[in-house]
Formats: sequence, C-alpha cells, structure tokens
Amino acid sequence: MTDQWVTFAKLGTADLVRLAGEIDLANAPEIGREIVRQTGRAGAVVIDLTAVSFLDSAGVRLLDALVGDLDDQGTPIRLVVGETGAARMTLQLCAFRDDLLATDLDRAADELGG
Amino acid sequence: MTENGGGGPEVTHDLRVPWEEDPGDLYEHAPCGYLTMLPDGTIVKVNETFLAWTGYARAELIGQRRFRDLLSAGDKIYYETHYAPLLSMQNDVHELAFDLIRADGERLPILVNSVLGRDDAGLPRVIRTTILNATERRGYEKELLAARRAAEASERRVRVLQQIVADLAAAPTAAEAADAIVRAPGPAFGAASATVWLAQADRDQLAAVAGTDSAALTDAPVPRDSSRAIAEVARRGDLHVIGSLAEAEQHFPELADTMRRTARAAVVLLPLTAASADDPGAAEVLGVLGFDFATPRELTDSELRVVRLLGHQAGQALDRARLYDDARRREERATFLADTTRALEVLPRLMPRARTLVERMVPRVARWAAVRLQVGPAGLLAEAGEPAPEPHRLADRVAEVLLSGQAQLTDDKEPDGGCAVLPLVANGRVFGTLALRPPLGRRTATAEVAFLRDLADRAALALENARLYEQERAIARTLQRSLLAGDLPADPRFAVETHYQAAAQDLEVGGDWFDAFLITPDKLAVVVGDVVGRGIDAATTMGQLRSAIRALASAEAGPARLLERLDRFVERVESARMATVAYAEIDLAANEMTYACAGHLPPLLAEPGESPRYLLDARSGAIGSRAGRQARIEDRIHLPSGSRLLLYTDGLIERRNRRIDAGFELLARTYAGKRDSPLPGLTASLADMLVGPEHADDVCLLCLSLGTERRLERTIGADPVQIALLRKDLRGWLVAHGVDDESTQAVLLASSEAVANSIEHGYRADPLGVVEIVATVSPEAIQVRVADTGVWIAPNARGARGRGLQLIRQVMDDVTFDHDDGTTVTMRRLRRGARE
Repeated sequence: MTDQWVTFAKLGTADLVRLAGEIDLANAPEIGREIVRQTGRAGAVVIDLTAVSFLDSAGVRLLDALVGDLDDQGTPIRLVVGETGAARMTLQLCAFRDDLLATDLDRAADELGG
Repeated sequence: MTENGGGGPEVTHDLRVPWEEDPGDLYEHAPCGYLTMLPDGTIVKVNETFLAWTGYARAELIGQRRFRDLLSAGDKIYYETHYAPLLSMQNDVHELAFDLIRADGERLPILVNSVLGRDDAGLPRVIRTTILNATERRGYEKELLAARRAAEASERRVRVLQQIVADLAAAPTAAEAADAIVRAPGPAFGAASATVWLAQADRDQLAAVAGTDSAALTDAPVPRDSSRAIAEVARRGDLHVIGSLAEAEQHFPELADTMRRTARAAVVLLPLTAASADDPGAAEVLGVLGFDFATPRELTDSELRVVRLLGHQAGQALDRARLYDDARRREERATFLADTTRALEVLPRLMPRARTLVERMVPRVARWAAVRLQVGPAGLLAEAGEPAPEPHRLADRVAEVLLSGQAQLTDDKEPDGGCAVLPLVANGRVFGTLALRPPLGRRTATAEVAFLRDLADRAALALENARLYEQERAIARTLQRSLLAGDLPADPRFAVETHYQAAAQDLEVGGDWFDAFLITPDKLAVVVGDVVGRGIDAATTMGQLRSAIRALASAEAGPARLLERLDRFVERVESARMATVAYAEIDLAANEMTYACAGHLPPLLAEPGESPRYLLDARSGAIGSRAGRQARIEDRIHLPSGSRLLLYTDGLIERRNRRIDAGFELLARTYAGKRDSPLPGLTASLADMLVGPEHADDVCLLCLSLGTERRLERTIGADPVQIALLRKDLRGWLVAHGVDDESTQAVLLASSEAVANSIEHGYRADPLGVVEIVATVSPEAIQVRVADTGVWIAPNARGARGRGLQLIRQVMDDVTFDHDDGTTVTMRRLRRGARE
C-alpha cells in the first residue's frame, strides 16, 4: 500500500524511484522497505523527490540509510530535488553532500552514465 | 361248515375239481410265498413261488439263511423290534410290511403273515409264514405320499408367492421391490441363494441390487450386450434353467466358474418382465432374478409355472416402482428447481449467486459442479464438491460448449461419463457454462437432460440478472463517485472536510450527496442532501439535484428562494421529489450564514468556546412535498471565526436499535469531544465513531470550518498517521494568515519534528498519550508550542533524534525545551519582514 508514495521505473540503465506526497514518520519505514525490495540488484539508482511535498527527519533517515547502503555496494545514486521545494529544503538543512543532489532527472542520468 | 337253505347245491365239503389237485403242487405254486422257519427264523422249507419272486435257489436258503437275513437293513431292525416280539406274544402276526432284498439286490415289497406253532410243552416249535407280493400296493402308497408332498410343496409355494405379491404391492421403489423378490426362491423352491439384477435403461446394463448373498452385489454391472448368462436372459426374455455344471460350461463359462466357486449345482435365471411401455403387446425385461441350488435340481412343470408367475409379478412391481420413481424424481427435481430459483433470488450479487448455485447442486444433483462466467477480464468461477474432472479435458470441453452453444452430456473418454457441460445462455449469447459430474451410481446426465437443461436455463437467467445488477451497481458507484469528487473550493477563509461512506451490506448506492461551491467570491454555499431510493436512478437524480442547486443558487436568492425553485424543479424531475436538503450560504466578508432545511436533519454548529448546538430554525418540508410545510423559510445567524458547521445525512445518527434523540445526543457529544481535533480526518472519524464499519446505510458528512482562528489549538493522539492531518490543518491556517511559503515550510517541518518526537520517544510506552499543539501568529512571528506528558529522553547527538531536534533549531529562530511534567517545546520563527 505504498503505491501512492513510491513508484518504480527505469531511467536508462538506472533504477528510477519516484517519491511523491508527504514523507514522514508514519510512512517512511514502509517506503524504505519497498525501495530496498525493488532496487536490491540495481546498477545505479536515481531517487526523484521533485513531487515530494513534505519531508521530515524520518524521511531523511530513510534516504541516509539508502545512500549508505548503496555507497557500500559501490552503486551510484543521485537524489533529484529540483530547484526549490520541501525536499530540497530539508536535505539542504541536513547538509546532504552536493554530489548526491541533482536538480533534474536528465542531469542525474548523465552523471551516472558518465 | 356252511348252511345254505337256498336253491343252490348244499355244499358241506370241498367241491371236487374236474382235475387231480395235487396238494404238493398247490403248495409249490400257490399265489403266495410259503416259508417254514425254525423259531430262530432259520428257513427249513420254502415254496417255488417265493423262490421265483426272490430269485434265490432253494439250496441257498434251506438251512442257510434266516428270514431276517433277507430283509433290508431298516427292516431287520423292524423284524427284531416288532415282528419277533409280536409273534412270540400273539403266536401270529398279520400284514407286516417289509422290503425283502432279492438275489439280484433289488427290493421286493412284501406283506408278511406268520403263525407260531408250539409243542406240547408250549415252546415255540415252528413258524409258518405266508408272503404276499406288495409291489403294486406299495407303489400306490408311495404315489399317494408323493402326491401329498407335492400338494404341500405347492401350497407352500403359493403361500410364499402370495406373501411376495403382497410385499411387492407395498414396495414403492425398485430397490424395495428387488428386496422382496430376492426373498422368494428360498422358501418357495428351497434355493440356496438368490440375486436380483435390475436393468438400468439409461446405461444399458444390469446391476445387482439385492441378494441373499451379499458377495454378488459387489460385482460390476453387466452390460446388456455381453455374453453373460444374465445378459442373455435379459435380451431374450426367456426363463433359463441350468440344471448342471456341465450344462453351464457348455453355454456360459463365466456362470460355470461362479457355480464352481460358490459350490452350486443348478441355477435358474428368470427374467422379470412387464408389458413394454412402447409396445403393450411385447414384454420388457426390467430385471433378472437368479437363484441357485447346492444339489442338482430339476423343476417340475408346476414349479416352472410358479417361477414364471413370480417373474411376471415381480416385473409388474418393478414397472410400478419405476413409475413411482419417475414421478418422485420429477417432483424432487421440480422442487429443487423452485427452491434453487428462490434461493438465488434473495442474493442480488453475482458471486454469491454463482456460489449458492453450485453449493445447492452438490450432492443432490452432482458430485461436483462448477459455474464459469465470461465476465470481467479474469472471468468468474464458482466450484463445489469433488473430485473435479481432469482440468485440461474440462477446459477443452468448456471451450467447445462456449463455441458451439451445444451441451455436452457424456464423455466417452473418461470413466463414468466424465462430466457434463451445459451452456449458460442469455439474450441469445453464451456467456458461461455449467459443468457437473452426476452422482455415482445414479442416473447419467443423458437421462436427466431435460432437468439439467431446465436448471441451466434458470441458472443462466439468475446469473445474467445478477451480472446486470453488478454492472448497474458499478455504474451507479462510478457515477456517484464522479459526482461527489468534484473539486471543493479552496480558500484561506474557510476549510471544508467531507466524508462519504457507502453502506457495508450489499446494498445499491444511496442518493446521499454533499457539495460546496462559491456563488460569488465572498459567498460560499454548502449542501448536504438525500434523494429517496437507491441504485443508479438515485445516483442520477442526485446528480441532477446537485446540478440544479448549483444553477439555481445566486447572490440575491438566498436559501428559501432556492428551495422554492427546487420545488418547481421536481415538478419536472419526479424522481427528485421528497429529497431532503440542508443548505447554507455563508457570507465570508460579513461572517454571516443564512440556512434552510427542507425535511433534512438540523445542522450542528460548534462556535469557539461553546458547546455544539443544533440549528433547529428554518425548517420546512422535503422538496416537492405535498404534506410538508410549503412555505420556505430561512434563518440568518452570525458565525464567529473558528466556528465549525456540520451537515450530515440520517445514516450518521439513525440506528435501528437506537432512538433518534439518543443519536442526536451522541453526535453532539462526540462532536464536542473532537472540537480540538484537526479538521482533516474529522468527518471520517465521526462516521467511524458513530456508525462503525458495519452500517446498513450510506453516510454523508460535510464539515465547514469558518474563518481563521487567531490561535490554532489542536489535540492529537500518539499516532504517526495523525501528524499529516495536523500538518494539513496547520498549513491551511498558516496560509490563511498570509504566512509566506518558506516560513510555512519551516514551521510545518519544525512542528512535525516536535510532534514526531513526542510520539516516538515521549510516548514510546504509551500509545494512548495525547499531544497538544497551540499555534499563534502575530505580524512579527509565528509561535508553536508542542506539549506532551510523556517521558523525556535526552537525545543522542549522533542518533536520529538528534537530527530531528537539529532541524527544529535550524528552521526556527528560538527554541526552548521545558521538561517539567512531560515535555513542552516552544518554537518561534520571525516572519519575513521581521527577519530582515
């Protein structure tokens, strides 16, 4: 029942995870499990947060854990957050690495491809 | 000496015969045998007549044999026990019957007269015996005896037959008739065992259904065209008497095997016949009675007559029972069809109907039954009983029937006929199949074809109706959803929360609706209404009425005038008559509300700091009502900022087991208890608390929260899901106060983190805890206070909580924690103008 918050697709060779709506304490753990289940063997992962209207520290925890796991596996990952928006605000406040963040999907795909 | 006074010659001594009568010759050739014996029976003198009768030579007897030596074994005893004592006592015996064994071993029946001569001392000296040949007389006696025995046997047979006929007359079923028939051969003919086979017309075979010896009953049915003796008898309709094993071996080897195995010496096979239904002149074989004997047995003519009679009587009884069976089966079938049709009618929905159909069929008319319908992308399958047929074979046959529309009743490729597949046809289209396996040992699908076709026709009709019902239901639901889903106006000056809950039971959609729209930029209309009836008609009518209200509402008219126009509207749209409506117009500039209720339940208003109250003025009859108050009236009240108005339909408070005033009280109490709850989710939780999931009626609610509270005070439970609802409420409140987007994001994040902290950590062990949120806004700053009564746990700087609290500090300008009696976080963020 996480379909309203998370959907999966392919972006070139990378797995594309689209998040939408409000991500908070109530749904973050479930969404995290779903992402891990779907992207376990991905060669690269792009997480699109442009449609996220709210992101709290539970969401940050989820992304932090995902990035950590993928880094350990050597899987490239990008978080697409757009120019403005709730997700960008929260992630910037939490000082996520600049190399993780991309402003649009094409750029993220290019970076992973290159 | 005789004296004769008549005219004839007076005879005083022997007449002289005209030839020389030699006494010796007289002795030797007398018409009877003479024996002279010593007292111990030793023969001392015998005449020629005796020797001629017995075939002995004189020398073999005289001095060699005693009389008793010549007697049969049984007669020797008789001689000792009767003859000798009697003779000794009476000195003579008369006409004692003996069987004398002749020299050639044959018996000679004789009558014996003896006289015992004694000497002067009275001691036995000589026995003189005459022997009469009793061959003919004894034969006659035997005949008499045999005749009597035959008469007795005949009488016994007649008695047995009479009993059987009485039993047969009382046997209502073929099985009971067979039970009566099988009891006859034992007492009537002394048969060792008997079995009845009945012809199964639809299967063209004979099955053993009754037997005195249960072993025969386990045998497989005998095909009518086989070479077995039973089949032969059934085909020819003739009585067969197999008098010996040799005879059986010659004609029926299988029967000979059985006879050897069961140690039988003779078998009688009797066809049980009745006048044929098709041709009254011809006899129809309905069964075969077989009985057998342990010893060789021939049947007399009279026995054969009785046997044939038994065959006719039994045949007639079977014929009668067959008619009874048919009549009873027809009645059962008719009852089954009627009951099934009724049982299906009470279930309007498709799947329950299909399931009920197959469950009723098993086991009464089938071992296994399945309904397949071509509805929806996946189709529908309802199945009951076992064993199911082989799936691929079944799939092939189902496909064939769907294509051809022709029933397939038997399947030669499978044992016991496999399964029958019948098409389900509606409006000339095959839309599914009914498949079944007939019960074991019962009539085949072919024999029941009329019944099965009838069943399939009725099932098709019931299932097609249910399918149409489902279709209409789906359309009605879709229509209703699309009508209710219309965008509600969004405005910082008010918020609208709605909830629609369909009836839990399998009822059609109701005609409840809600609506909210802006008549002018400053005038908001809210409506909740209820159309009479259910289903697609109610949904369409609801749509028309909803559109009519939107069209008729105007800046000048007001609620009373609008209701009058609706009254005229229903003159043209009759299905909308008697609809009820609660309608209110809110002047957002003046904070005034004008409302009217047309036969609808009163709105419930909660003003800040007051108990909720029902608005009981401005009431008039339902739309188009002739009995209700016709004059449409309205009422105008002031609505302070922060008021919440609840409109609802009767499903919310009406319960079958609760008085309506109790419902009103409960709603007011529940509503009051939720005054501080965030508006988002309020209507859903009211419906949940008042009616629960198992409600019998549709429920429709609309809650309007008016104006902007200066202080936002909310209380939420310790449930993470509630944070989103609070955020929605808070976002609307912040927007209404003109707070800029960045600050709104910041306050929402900080508030969420603070509440999450309370729920996740403060109430870690207390799921029933509550979190209080108070937000205030001033031209300079936004302040939010989040308070819980849980346990404060100092955050670990590296841990997850650290990040939440850090976020709060980052986005808010001033944050204080107070840990007296739980935790209170007070956070303040300067507004844009004040920040720079």
